[in-house]
Amino acid sequence: MIFSFETWQITLFSISVGLASTLLILPFGIALAWLFARKEWPLKGVVETAVLLPLVMPPVSTGLILLKIFGRRSPLGQWLYERGIEIVFNWKGVLIAMSVMSFPLLVRSVRTSFAEVNPRLEQIAATLGASPLRIFFVITIPLAYKGIVAGALLAFSRALGEFGATILLAGNIPGKTQTLALAIYNYVQLGKDPDAFILLGITVALAFLFVWCSEWLLRSGKKM
Amino acid sequence: MLLRCRIPLASFELDIDASFDARVTAIFGPSGSGKTTLLDALAGLRNITAGEIEVGGRALFSSARGINLPPRKRDIGYVPQEGALFPHLSVQKNILFGAERDTDADKSDPIDINHVLEILEIPHLLPRPVTQLSGGEAQRVALARAILSRPLLLLLDEPLAALDIGLKERILPYLARVRDEFKIPMIYVTHNLTEVLTLADWVLMIRQGRLIAAGVPKEKLISAETVTQLADEQFENVLTVTFIQANREAGNTQVRLESGTELFIPYLPYPEKPELQIRVSADDILVATERPNSISAGNILAGTICKMERLEGEAILTVLAGDEFLVRLTSSAANRLGLKEGTAVFLIIKTRSFTVI
Repeated sequence: MIFSFETWQITLFSISVGLASTLLILPFGIALAWLFARKEWPLKGVVETAVLLPLVMPPVSTGLILLKIFGRRSPLGQWLYERGIEIVFNWKGVLIAMSVMSFPLLVRSVRTSFAEVNPRLEQIAATLGASPLRIFFVITIPLAYKGIVAGALLAFSRALGEFGATILLAGNIPGKTQTLALAIYNYVQLGKDPDAFILLGITVALAFLFVWCSEWLLRSGKKM
Repeated sequence: MLLRCRIPLASFELDIDASFDARVTAIFGPSGSGKTTLLDALAGLRNITAGEIEVGGRALFSSARGINLPPRKRDIGYVPQEGALFPHLSVQKNILFGAERDTDADKSDPIDINHVLEILEIPHLLPRPVTQLSGGEAQRVALARAILSRPLLLLLDEPLAALDIGLKERILPYLARVRDEFKIPMIYVTHNLTEVLTLADWVLMIRQGRLIAAGVPKEKLISAETVTQLADEQFENVLTVTFIQANREAGNTQVRLESGTELFIPYLPYPEKPELQIRVSADDILVATERPNSISAGNILAGTICKMERLEGEAILTVLAGDEFLVRLTSSAANRLGLKEGTAVFLIIKTRSFTVI
C-alpha cells in the first residue's frame, strides 16, 4: 500500500514522539512502581491516587492543567521560556501530554510485576552479600522484566492514542504537532473521510499489535 | 554466640535469651513456635524490639548500643526452607552469586568451589536451569550457594522438611559432611528429633516463643516435657558405631559401639568411612527381665534402667546398655515386669530394626 507523504509524516511523528515519551517515563515509572510495591512511606496513598488520576480524569482536564503549568504565563513556563524551551504548541507539548497520560498505565503494570517477585529471594540475596542496587538489577528487574515490557508497550499504545490532553497543550498543527489521533479528527472535520479511514486502519493495526504483545507477555509471565 | 531478643509476633512474643558455642546448634520446637522468625532475626531480615546478637564476638545487633548491621554485612549464610534459588539464573550463577562477596582479611581460609561441589555431589548440575532440579538437588544447590559466600555462621531452616522420607535419608549425610568438612558453625532449625540427634551437639528447645530447655541433645530431649511435646513425633535412638565386618550371606553387618558393645545391623557393603550412624525406634526395642534363650533377634544387650518416666498409658525408659537406649513401652508392660529405676534388663533388638543413616 502506498501512503501519501502526509500520512507517513503523521504516522512517523506519532510513533517517534510516542516512543520518546515511553522511554522518558520508563525510569521514573520503574522507580515509583518499586517504591509503591516494596516500601512504606508517608502519604504513599495520596501519591498513588494522584499518579492514577490521568487514567480516569477527562484527558481535556489533564490537558488544561498541563497548559496552566507549562504555559508562558506560569512561573515554570516563564522559567523555561527564558532558557529557550517552549513546551506549548510544539512537539515537546505532545511529548509531555503523552508522557503524563500514559504514566499511570506503566506504573500500574510494573508495580504488579514487582509485587509478584518473591521478597524472600531479595532477602536471601542480601544475606549473600548483595548490595540493594545489585539486588534490584540482578534479581528484581530480571524477574519482573515481562511486566515491565508489557507495561511499556501498554504505555506506548496509550501514548499513540492520546488526544484530549495533546490538543490542549500542543494544539493541532499539521506538520508540527499533528498526531494520528489529531489528524483523524481533523480529516473528519474537513469531510475527508477516506483519508481518515487510512489513518484509522493504521491506529487499529498498531494498537492491536502492541496490546496483543503486552497481553502475551503477561500471560507467559504467569506460567513461570 | 549470644542471642538475646524480643520480637512481637501475631499471637505471642518471641523472647529468647541463649548463649552457646557449638558446631551445630539445633533449634527444636513444634511448628509455629517462632523458629523461622528467630533465624530471620539473626540474619537481619526482621526487626527486633530489643536485644543483643553476637556471633564470634562480633555484635550484629544491639538495641542498647544502637547497632543493627544490614543482612549483607552480617556474614551469615541462610538456607531457607524453600531453598529460595533464583529462578531466572542457572545453577552455576546461583552458586556463584554469593562467592563474589568482598573477602574480609580475617577470612583467610578460602573455600575451594570444586571441593564444595564435590562434597554435595552437584558438579553435574551446574549448567542446568534451577527450574529443572528435584527437591533434594535444589536443597544441595542452596546449601552450596550459602557455603560459598564464606559465612561465619550458617542458618538452615528445616532443610529436609519439604522432602519425602526416602530423600531425607539421602540428604542427611550431606549435611553431616558439610558439618565435618567446613568449619562453619551451623544453626539448624527442625521439628524432627532424628535430625537433632544426628547432627546437633547443642539444642535449644523453644515453644510458643520461649526457650524451654538448652543443652546437649541426648540429655535434654529425654525429659518428660519433651516427650509430651513430641507425642506424634518419631521417637528414635541414634547411635554412632564403628564398622567391624559385613557378611553378605548371613545378611548382617557387625558394628561396635564406643563402649565396646557389639551389634548386628542389616548387611551393608564396606562403607567409605568406618564411622556410621544408625538408628532404631524406641518402639522397636523389647525389654526382658531374663535373658531369652531361643529368639530370632540378633541383638540381646544386658543393661540397667537408669531413668524411667511415666506418662499417660506409657513408660519411657532410659536404659544403659553399652550406650543409652530410649525405650517406649505401654504402662501395662512396664507394670507386668515390675520395672523401675535400677532394674537389670535385657534389650532385644532385631537386626533389621536398625537403619543406617
